[in-house]
Amino acid sequence: MKIKRILMVSCLASGLLLTACGPKSSGGGSSGPIPIDPTVPEEARGTYAITMWGSEVEGVEELFKEQIQDFCELNPGLTINVTYEAVSEKDSAAKVLADVDAAADLYCFAQDQFADLVQGAALSRLGKVAQDAITANNDAGSVAAVTSGDYLYAYPMTADNGYFMYYDNTVVKANHLNSLEDILADCVAAERTFSMETSTSAWYLASFFFGTGCVSEWTTDDEGEFVAANDTFNSPQGLIAMRGMQHLVKSEYYVSSSNAAEQFAAARQAAVVVSGTWDYDKAVEALGEKLGVAELPSFTVDGQSYHLGSYSGNKLLGVKPTTDVKRARVLSTLALYLTSQDCQEERFDAVSWGPSNKVVAQMDKVTANPALAALLKQAQYAKPQGQIPGAWWDFAKVLGTVAAEAAQDDTAALQAGLTSYAESIDKVLHPTEQPVWALVGNFSRDSNNWWNAATAKRMTEGESGKWSTTVALAADDEFKVCKINSTTVLEWAYGASAVDQTASTAAAAFDLTGDNIKVLTAGSYLIVMTGTGVELRSAIA
Amino acid sequence: MAEELLNTNTPEVVEHKKDKRHMGLTASRTISNTVIYFILVIMTVVWLVPFIFLVLQSFRVESTGMVGYIIPEQWGFNNYVNLFTNTKFPKWFMNTFIIALATAALQTIIVLCMSYTLSRLRFGGRKFLMNFMLVLGMFPGMLTMIILYRVLADLHMTQQNSIPGLILVYAASSGMGYYVSKGFFDTLPKSLDEAARVDGANRAQVLLKVILPLSKPIVIYTLLTAFMGPWGDFAFASYIAFNNSNGMNVAVGLNSLISTPASIGKNYTMFCAGGVVVAIPITVLFLFLQKYYVEGVTGGAVKG
Amino acid sequence: MKKYSSLEYLRLTKIQRFFYKIACFFVGIPQFFKKIGLAIVKFAKKFGIGVKDEFKDLVMTFVNGDYKTRISYAIMGFGSFTRKQYGRGILFFLFEAIFIVYMALAGGYWISMLPSLGKIGPHQEYDPIWDVWVPAYGDNSFKILLYSVLTIFFIVAFIYTWRLNIKQNRISEEIIGSMPKRCLEKEKKQKIVELKKNNPDLSTEELSQKTKEIEDEYNQKIEEVPSKPLKSTKDDVMSLIDNEFHKTLLALPVTGILIFTVMPIIFMILVAFTNYSGQANGYTNHLFHWVGMDNFNTVLVWSNSGGASFSATFGEVLAWTLMWAFFATFSNYFLGMIVAMIINKKGIKLKKWWRTVLVLTIAIPQFISLLYVNKMFSYTGVINGVITNLGGTPVHFMDDYAEPWVSRLTVILVNIWIGIPYLMLIATGILMNIPADLYESAQIDGANVFQQYMKITLPYMLFVTGPYLLTSFTGNMNNFNVIFLLTGGAPTMINTPPNAASVGSTDLLITWLFKITTTAGSKYYLASVIGILVFLVVAIISIIVYNIIPSNKNEEDFQ
Repeated sequence: MKIKRILMVSCLASGLLLTACGPKSSGGGSSGPIPIDPTVPEEARGTYAITMWGSEVEGVEELFKEQIQDFCELNPGLTINVTYEAVSEKDSAAKVLADVDAAADLYCFAQDQFADLVQGAALSRLGKVAQDAITANNDAGSVAAVTSGDYLYAYPMTADNGYFMYYDNTVVKANHLNSLEDILADCVAAERTFSMETSTSAWYLASFFFGTGCVSEWTTDDEGEFVAANDTFNSPQGLIAMRGMQHLVKSEYYVSSSNAAEQFAAARQAAVVVSGTWDYDKAVEALGEKLGVAELPSFTVDGQSYHLGSYSGNKLLGVKPTTDVKRARVLSTLALYLTSQDCQEERFDAVSWGPSNKVVAQMDKVTANPALAALLKQAQYAKPQGQIPGAWWDFAKVLGTVAAEAAQDDTAALQAGLTSYAESIDKVLHPTEQPVWALVGNFSRDSNNWWNAATAKRMTEGESGKWSTTVALAADDEFKVCKINSTTVLEWAYGASAVDQTASTAAAAFDLTGDNIKVLTAGSYLIVMTGTGVELRSAIA
Repeated sequence: MAEELLNTNTPEVVEHKKDKRHMGLTASRTISNTVIYFILVIMTVVWLVPFIFLVLQSFRVESTGMVGYIIPEQWGFNNYVNLFTNTKFPKWFMNTFIIALATAALQTIIVLCMSYTLSRLRFGGRKFLMNFMLVLGMFPGMLTMIILYRVLADLHMTQQNSIPGLILVYAASSGMGYYVSKGFFDTLPKSLDEAARVDGANRAQVLLKVILPLSKPIVIYTLLTAFMGPWGDFAFASYIAFNNSNGMNVAVGLNSLISTPASIGKNYTMFCAGGVVVAIPITVLFLFLQKYYVEGVTGGAVKG
Repeated sequence: MKKYSSLEYLRLTKIQRFFYKIACFFVGIPQFFKKIGLAIVKFAKKFGIGVKDEFKDLVMTFVNGDYKTRISYAIMGFGSFTRKQYGRGILFFLFEAIFIVYMALAGGYWISMLPSLGKIGPHQEYDPIWDVWVPAYGDNSFKILLYSVLTIFFIVAFIYTWRLNIKQNRISEEIIGSMPKRCLEKEKKQKIVELKKNNPDLSTEELSQKTKEIEDEYNQKIEEVPSKPLKSTKDDVMSLIDNEFHKTLLALPVTGILIFTVMPIIFMILVAFTNYSGQANGYTNHLFHWVGMDNFNTVLVWSNSGGASFSATFGEVLAWTLMWAFFATFSNYFLGMIVAMIINKKGIKLKKWWRTVLVLTIAIPQFISLLYVNKMFSYTGVINGVITNLGGTPVHFMDDYAEPWVSRLTVILVNIWIGIPYLMLIATGILMNIPADLYESAQIDGANVFQQYMKITLPYMLFVTGPYLLTSFTGNMNNFNVIFLLTGGAPTMINTPPNAASVGSTDLLITWLFKITTTAGSKYYLASVIGILVFLVVAIISIIVYNIIPSNKNEEDFQ
């Protein structure tokens, strides 16, 4: 349910609130906000025709066009003719990646597509100035959202994707609000439903796991590939989360939906809907005076209570790579401008999008937004979404079904679900069964194959996990040893530091001081990856 | 046959004239006829109601989203006005119209060439060609879209220039849909050709002077189906337009009006108005030419 | 099973023959496979002989040809040109020139890159002056694959044309008689040589006498070799609108099919053996490469680790696709027939009106009716409005919260709504052709309406529309519009593997394929594999059914 996960929002996100409300504020860096320079060098000014894909929400197009006009006025001599196409942020990556060449120069997208876009080289890396500005001016969650490996690849535009609880205050008693079980009892008594999209959306389902302290944090490299995961869903704590989730999903009055308008108006009316700020107006419309808004409750397992967590996420602005440096400079400066403090404030005024900019986030008018209170309270339990592989949403949501189908507290069945989940994570990280070690570099076979797993020189596996290959090398060749699968480099054995020179190596034959292993004397060599390091030996005839 | 089918009391099939002998059946016949009328009325309602709803919704003024009732509370032309002034609908309509006209012309020529040749000329490789096309037809056409898109993109025939691209895509492979048309040519007597050949006409003259004048029904059928095709195509058109609102056809354009929950609330009645505007010319055209259509469909099915 | 002799068979009614054929089919299945095997062997043999003959002809033409013919082996069209067939000569020569220039400038490069599909990939480079990262591009795997395929097409076409050019020379020489004359000349000389060799003790006079005899005999023969003029360029052009008219007519359609269907299909089949995707598009992000059978393994081979396997999902979608095709085809077929019958029933008035109402719905573009019906069935749509007003609970018909079976059933029902008008038209046409005396005699025998239907109408319909049912079945398997516009595949399946692109319970293989290519990451290679599998399924069903259904398609019967 990507639609539900991405969300069109009218308010502040919890990620930003984290920084706004507590001493925890680590920000993006230690320094305070730095002003951005919205001008481009004289030589780069000229006339540019650009396309932009952005939200279809009313008023957004006009605002973007206005702001681009303002940008041009700040840069005399610069004219930008912009063609705007309404493309929902949830669809951006799919459309961009179908043909990067034909995609828009500037496009807005939801955070969950970031890694896909980096993998598809559809985002231009940020220059140093832009990188510093983004890091300094936005909250930590937003910076994490645009970071992959060592670089930043996009410009945070909003930070307002989070969820909390709307409820009917004639059904749910005020003193029950902090307990899921009590709220459910109230719902049952009133024959009204409790609506939370745990069966079809991992975005909501994760709430239970965050509650018990589980995490699912993923690391991407410079190419946007997922290289590591710190995921503790498959743990005793995860099992507790599953049992807690059963309290909800096995209830007769549970509905898997996050559509407040629909559920509050349904024939079997909802008493509680877990949703985000984007549903506030509709919830008011449906319940009027009876509407209550609160943070998520706690659930109780084995006498201990756990407060439900939540995700917080961003909407981002990306720039398509271009080989024209001037154009690249104009586009990146424009993107920086469009996500600057002033523009974020204007956007909040016009369409109530919650800013990722730290200064704007702390403005009174922003914090005074009525729907904010609940999100603010929920914020301390929220986790920034970071980078999550697309497949995760598909296999994680299965846990909701597992919980519903297993008998209450049937730990064996629940554990089976978690085990399968963990296996799926393994599959994401290691897409082919057997990665192999190989040499990449500009050695004699190919003129240049640094980026290319498919033409790498593969090693063969010998005894006790050692990998080796014999290769003819010429003087001045450079190479590295890395672990690859059929398509990608998974892991580098970094240069010289990894080399273990034994007595039998041709010590004088290699220069090990640089990042790469450099050949000094041509010859045929036996390269061995021992598991702890690389050994370089003269090949025995 | 088709003319009879629609315009006259067709010969009865299930029963026959001598029934009158069984006078006892009359009462049961009256009952069964009543039941049949009842079924037919229900069917008429089921088949027409969605379109009536569509028209009614397109005149709704008080709100623009989806509602649970049918008759508008306030009537007006706002949706039509909005459609033509605030969206690129006129552009989409013209795109589709141009594509449909060009496709109809090209496709008709191609299909007639192909079907005439396969039906009335005998040459080496004819069987092979037919079997080859039969096998090709078993591949899902959707598959070719991926590469055709990339090739057309290299030729700058996508996005705002989608019109020539789509015409090519629709018309180029249309030769594979020769079956109905070949079925028609198969039924023309061979003696026609032979007589003309004896009189010294070459094969081109036979086609142009003898066969073509007799082929009006199949020409019109091919033109009509080729013309109607582009109005309903979604998959190829959305691929080729690639998000550029200037290159969309009506199907993709109108779909883009209601592609997200937010836009449904904003544009739903406008979508209905668009549907009506598109449906009217096609329906009128169809109404005039339906006898040819019916003939083609029935003939095509029987001949496989 | 009793096997009928041909005489007995001819005595059967059409319907009996039909069932007899069905029975024969099932009995004959093992034979069928044996036949296929034999056919392949036969084809291979024929192919081998064909190749041998071709080579023999090439050599013999060279040996027996004149210098024009021999030069034509290197310079195409030389023979035609020097024999005053200027049009052909120039075309042959131009083709060769273009081919050589193309291969030298581009074709060679593409073919040489085919095994690797590119070596240097793209990367981003930092430009310190402008403080921006700009991409640097390398090889283009997509173009390499595409142009390699085109180049191979071109090479095959060249070889064919070259061969044609040789054949042309031989035929020309046969027409003008030069080659047969030369053969006879050679034979004559050989005879004379043999004569000398075989009869070393002959006297000179005798020898010259016998030699003279042989010479006279052969000169006579050579004299008699007919010599006809060759076709002029004008004749060639004229034949294009007469004896070779099919070439003129087929040029455009066949070219279109070659470029827009054959070439893409070959390309996509190749893609199934690569890792071409949105994230490895071969140029701007990553090169793509050959991966062997990996993709087929992913889709077909059952793997049990780590959640859902792709093969299980594929199986489920395939099962639903077949189920859908079955129900969509036969529900429409029978209901359409019934509607046609009741409209045709004697005593029913306004026949034209009832038919026109149904036919009109065909006119309205499907995307309008389907998208509208989709909205009617939505949770807040008109139908649920009616249900609520009647005091019921709203139903999730075909959105993401729907039960899979509710959604599937709804789609089949809506498809009936779409399909009945077509079937009504077809059935009406056919029903009118059933001879009325069949029904008369049935009634005299006391058959009721149902029995008449089962014994006469249905078998007749099945007999006539067999091929239509098959195309309708395979058409429904690939019925993109109905599913995509109506449900978009919803509800999404819960337990799906990575890369499955949010496949839904009502997704057919074809809509799934579309989804895979249009969701983030666009796994074109998986789409290709699915496309190929769709082809195989359709082909297998077609082969089986073609062998069951009675052949009423003897083309010449009609003319």
